[in-house]
Parts: sequence; C-alpha cells; structure tokens
Amino acid sequence: MIIAARNLSKFFDVKGVKNAKIRAVEDVNIEIKEGEIVGLVGESGSGKSTLGRLLIRLIEPTSGEILYNIPDKELDEFDIALKNKDDNAIKKIVDKYSITKLHGNELKKFRRNVGIVFQDPYSSLNPRLKIEDIIAEPIIETGYLKGNEAKERVLELLDEVQLPREFSYRYPHELSGGQRQRVALARGIATNPKLVILDEPTSALDVSIQAEILELLKELREKYNISMLLITHNISVVSYMADRVFVMYAGKIMEKGSKNDIIKNPEHPYTQALISAVPQIKRIKARIILKGDPPNLINPPKGCRFHPRCPVALPTCGWTADEVKPTLDYLIDTKYFTEFTNANVEIKNELELIANNVDINKLKEIINIEKENYKPLLSIKDIVQENGRVALKLYQYETPELIELENGREVECLLFSPKNKAS
Amino acid sequence: MSKSNAKPDRFRELKLSLQVFFSNKSAVAGLIIFLFYFFDALILQFFPQILPFKHPYQLTPNYANPIPQPPSFKHPFGTTYPGVDLLNAIIKSIRLDFWLSLEIVIPGAIIGLVVGIIATYFGGWIDEVLMRVTDIVFSIPYLVLAIAIGYVLGRTLQSMMIALILVWWPLYARYARSVTLETKELTFIEAARAAGTSNLKIMFKHILPNSLPPVFVQISLDLGTIMLTISALAFIGFLPAANLPELGYLTSLGYNYIQTAPWAMIIPGLFIVLFALAVNLMGDGFRDVIDPRRRSEL
Repeated sequence: MIIAARNLSKFFDVKGVKNAKIRAVEDVNIEIKEGEIVGLVGESGSGKSTLGRLLIRLIEPTSGEILYNIPDKELDEFDIALKNKDDNAIKKIVDKYSITKLHGNELKKFRRNVGIVFQDPYSSLNPRLKIEDIIAEPIIETGYLKGNEAKERVLELLDEVQLPREFSYRYPHELSGGQRQRVALARGIATNPKLVILDEPTSALDVSIQAEILELLKELREKYNISMLLITHNISVVSYMADRVFVMYAGKIMEKGSKNDIIKNPEHPYTQALISAVPQIKRIKARIILKGDPPNLINPPKGCRFHPRCPVALPTCGWTADEVKPTLDYLIDTKYFTEFTNANVEIKNELELIANNVDINKLKEIINIEKENYKPLLSIKDIVQENGRVALKLYQYETPELIELENGREVECLLFSPKNKAS
Repeated sequence: MSKSNAKPDRFRELKLSLQVFFSNKSAVAGLIIFLFYFFDALILQFFPQILPFKHPYQLTPNYANPIPQPPSFKHPFGTTYPGVDLLNAIIKSIRLDFWLSLEIVIPGAIIGLVVGIIATYFGGWIDEVLMRVTDIVFSIPYLVLAIAIGYVLGRTLQSMMIALILVWWPLYARYARSVTLETKELTFIEAARAAGTSNLKIMFKHILPNSLPPVFVQISLDLGTIMLTISALAFIGFLPAANLPELGYLTSLGYNYIQTAPWAMIIPGLFIVLFALAVNLMGDGFRDVIDPRRRSEL
C-alpha cells in the first residue's frame, strides 16, 4: 500500500463555542495501492477534501494513524494488532511507517513523495509568480533539485503536461483555465511523487477541457505508476478514471469496493441513492430521492450517520429520543389532535420518552398505523404504562462497522451485519 | 534556454516595467515633480557648495526689512517674515522635509507590514496580542507623543522621527491585516504548504507581494501627509531651532500676514501640496507596474 490510514479522525474547533467540534472526518480507514486511482465520492461537506488533505498532512489529524509505503503484510499485522490492542506490535509498525509525527527534514522528504492538485486553478496559482517559479516551488522547497537542474525539470514538466516551454516566463493570468490546471498538475507531479491527491481537479473546468485533463492524468499514471486519490462528486469522472471507489457520507466511509461493483451494483442504501441520481441517456429509472439535508457534523446522528435519510432504516440504526419526539409531537398536536387533550411528550433520556395525558391504547394504535410513513417510529420497542404516564422505550441502537463482503468490498451498514442477514 | 536567456530576460522585464509606468501620463508628471524635489534634497544634502547659499542649512532673515515683500525680480516668490527670501527658503526647506518624510514613512510601513502579516498569518492569540497593541498605539495622539518624546529625549529631529514612526506603523499593520486575511485563504497558500514551504517564506514570498499594492498607494499618500504633520509640529514650535528651513514652519511664518501678503503663506503651502500630489500620482504608476494584469496589457 502506498498509503493507508487507520481510525483517522479530524475534529475542527467551532469558533466562539467551547467544546463544540465539527466532526469532519471520523474513524476512517482508507488504503491506496501503488499505481492505483482511488475515487472518493460523496456530497459537499462529507469530508472528502479534509480526508485528502489529512493523508498528505496538510491538516494535522486529531487522532488515528497514517502509514506511508507500508507492505501489505505489515498492514495486515497492524490491523490484527489494532484488533487485539497489542501496543507493542502497534508501536513497532507506527515507528516504521507512520507519517503523523514527522517533522523537519523527514517531513520534507515525505512531501517530495506526495503532491496535490486543487479544484480551482484560478486561486491555486499565485498571480505574482511566474509559471516557472510556481512549478519550481515544490522542487526547490523539498530539496528535490536545485538551481539550473530545477529549471530544466520545470521545462520537462511543461512538456509532460503538454504546454509550450515558453509558458515558463508567463504569469498565471495570461493562461486559460485548462492551461492553468495543467500548470497546477505539473506542480503536483513536480517532485516525481508516488501519490497525488486530486481535489476535484476538473469541476472548475468546462466539459471539453475536463476530458483533456482526465486523459492527461491517465497518461501520467500509465507512465510513472503514480497512485492517485481522485476526490470528486462527479460519478461519471469516477467511473471513467478510478480502479476502486470509496463512498463517503458525513465524515464516514459508507462503502468501498471496485469501481464496477460500486457503480453497477451498489449495496449501501446511500450509494444506491447516489448512483441513481446520475443522469443517463435513454433510460428511465426509479430514482431514489433522499429527504432532508446532510446532518450537522457538530452533533452527528448516533449509530449510522445516514439513518435519518435512509429509505430502508432499521429500528436499531441509531434513532434516539431527540429524533422520535418531533414525529410524536406532530402526530399528537397536528395529525390526530382531535384524539388528545393537553397531551405532551417529553424526553426522559436518550432512549426513553414520557407521554403525559395520553391513552396508551390509542397511542399504540396510532403508532402502528403511522410506522410505515414515519421511520423514527420504527425504533419504538415498548409502550408501557408507568405511574399514570405512558413510557415509550426505544431499541438500543448499534453503530455499524465496515463489513467485508466478497472480493475486497466493504459496506458500513447494519443490513449486512451477520445478525440481520440471518433474519 | 533558461540559462542563456536569464540576462536579457531581466532586461526585458525592466523595459516592460518602464513601459507600463510611462504609459501612465499623470504618473510621469508625478515622477517629474518628485524628481525635482529629490534632486533639490540630494544637492543640498551632499553638494551644497554648488548653490550660491552662504548658509544652506539655515534661513537667512533680513531684520532691516522684515515685512513680507510681494514677488519681484529680486525675490521671484516674494519674501516672508522676517525678510526671508521665499525661493531660497523653499529650496533649502525641501531637503529636510523630503528626508524626514521618507525616514518616517518607510520604516513605519515596514514595521506595520511585518506586524500585520505575522499577526494575521498565525492568527489565534498572536493575532489578538499584536492587533491589540496596534490598537493601543493607534489611539495615541501623535502630537502629544511627539511633544512627550521631545521632552524626554530632547527637542531634536531624531526624537520627532522616533515619535512619528512609533505612531505611523499601526495604519500599515491594519492594511496588511485586511489584505492578508483575504490572501491567506487562497489555495495557493495551501499549495505552498503542501510543497513544504516554511511559514516565513509563505509570508514573505506569497503573502507580502500580494499585499503590496494597497500599501504602496498608502505610502505615497502618507509621504504627503507626513509633510503636513511635520509642518504641524513645526507650527507648534517643535523645531529645534528658529531658523531651521522647513516648509511647514515657513508657512507658519507668513501666517500673520495672510490678509496683506497672502503669497507668504500660499507659496510654501503650495510646495507641500505639490509634493503630496506628485507622490500620489507616482504611486498610481507604481501600482500599475507591480500589477501583472496591467503588465500583460502592453
């Protein structure tokens, strides 16, 4: 593996609010093989870009390990050690491959082996520097080459990205968007890196130029066997470029697998919704339209983060009293207001609600009828009379883990846990 | 290609810079006026003997005829109280004003830029501390500070300079901060970080050149303003000697005769304004030169 991350998390502080953290990336495991293009898809705000930046240490992770250039065997050993909490074995491998503690010259050496290409070719090039200086920056700063050798390398790189050599004396504003992105690409591969993070490299370009850039990327991969992490929300770009795909939602990896598996046969409900949203010519299909918005990452949903929007959510997917209360309020105050007088619902704890002035049988009846329409009601396990009030008890939720299916495919969904599969 | 072209290329750059500057007519006018002031200051500072002045660093009063005289062949700009020939006095005065302006504005701008960029780039408590210090200094009235420093260090030009530099940098710190706030969020800063560029280099190679244009304009504005400030200090009697040639002081000499001899005030005042105008126009031209978008239009 050229790079692998284990339990990688990044929490951002919220300005002005104490103890509030934006959980942009949480407990992510990712691995990229040599010469492989990995697509990372997900909607805006799902933490894709943060993950990409974490991997090359543009952002410091809050916790977790990033292992660079680790042989597969040792990564397996590391996984076993993590499972068994074998501190000695963990430390041995971390000392050898981890990049999270690198600094000074070691970090510079690592920077030589990774590159990044940003989305917007307009703001990613300093308007006051010449193209030559822009491309030479990583070459010189990481100590890859010096002086005239660096200049020669810049010219080679311009050839590589199919720009005329004269461009080295121009300024960014003299170039078109596509040309600028080629310059950004030349900078990304300037130090002959083994891994390049492509952060939406084509989304700021128009379609004809997108194709050129993608072709160029593929060519470079063939020629130099560079691993690439392609961060994008464009499924068609992924299906054209990637070997494997990771699907991210609200800071978590939902599903990973080979491109064909993910695109032709998505297993996770979120991936299914995502793939079904891709327009296709001459085919009318049933779209899965998700309701609601992506969750607030300061206080993300419990259990599976996708459960509030999931069309096939189970009772144990992560529902809590906070999510059930609005539905009950709606039923009692609005839809069935004729049935109740002075009724109200209060939260007792995460998994228990108390309803006052409610007839237990009537409530049971209503919940039974509405279960199909309102997913949160599924999670009500028991309704019992307690000291003259009605207590609604919820199922204990479970947090899904990545479950391995056939040939390297992994899904983070309770639907695939052995327990649920049996039933 | 790169090696052999290095020299002619630099020459081409310079030629292009000049082309850009000279395509701006008003900037050229500003430059010409500025050069007059510059050479005046230069000659008086280093070669005063080529001018027919007995005392190049002093005003020469004529107590026999102290009332201001109107312009005549003998006195092309007239005279001011006490019988000082205005043309002579102005030529002598420009030296002091010119060097003082530069010596105050440029160190002030450098301190301000460094403080502003460091504060904003690192953010957090460094930003808080540095910018609060800036605010405190900003609130000090410069005239009071100048008088206080003059009292402590002695009433010399040096103490005036120190006092003015001390109060002049906060403005630049704020300018630098506002521009840096915007620049540091751009992705090329992130790209530089990904390339392993050190913080210091990011600040001075990437952020500084992008914050210069507004600062340049401010410097040119300030060169004029500082002359007014020095004049104000001279007016309230801060000058170390009563016969020191200084434009503001010269203006204040004619103050009592404004109704009967307006030239005694208007003419030295005009030379203050002219300098401010010239550096402003020139500042516009410099802004064009360092703006690559403007460069490639030619």
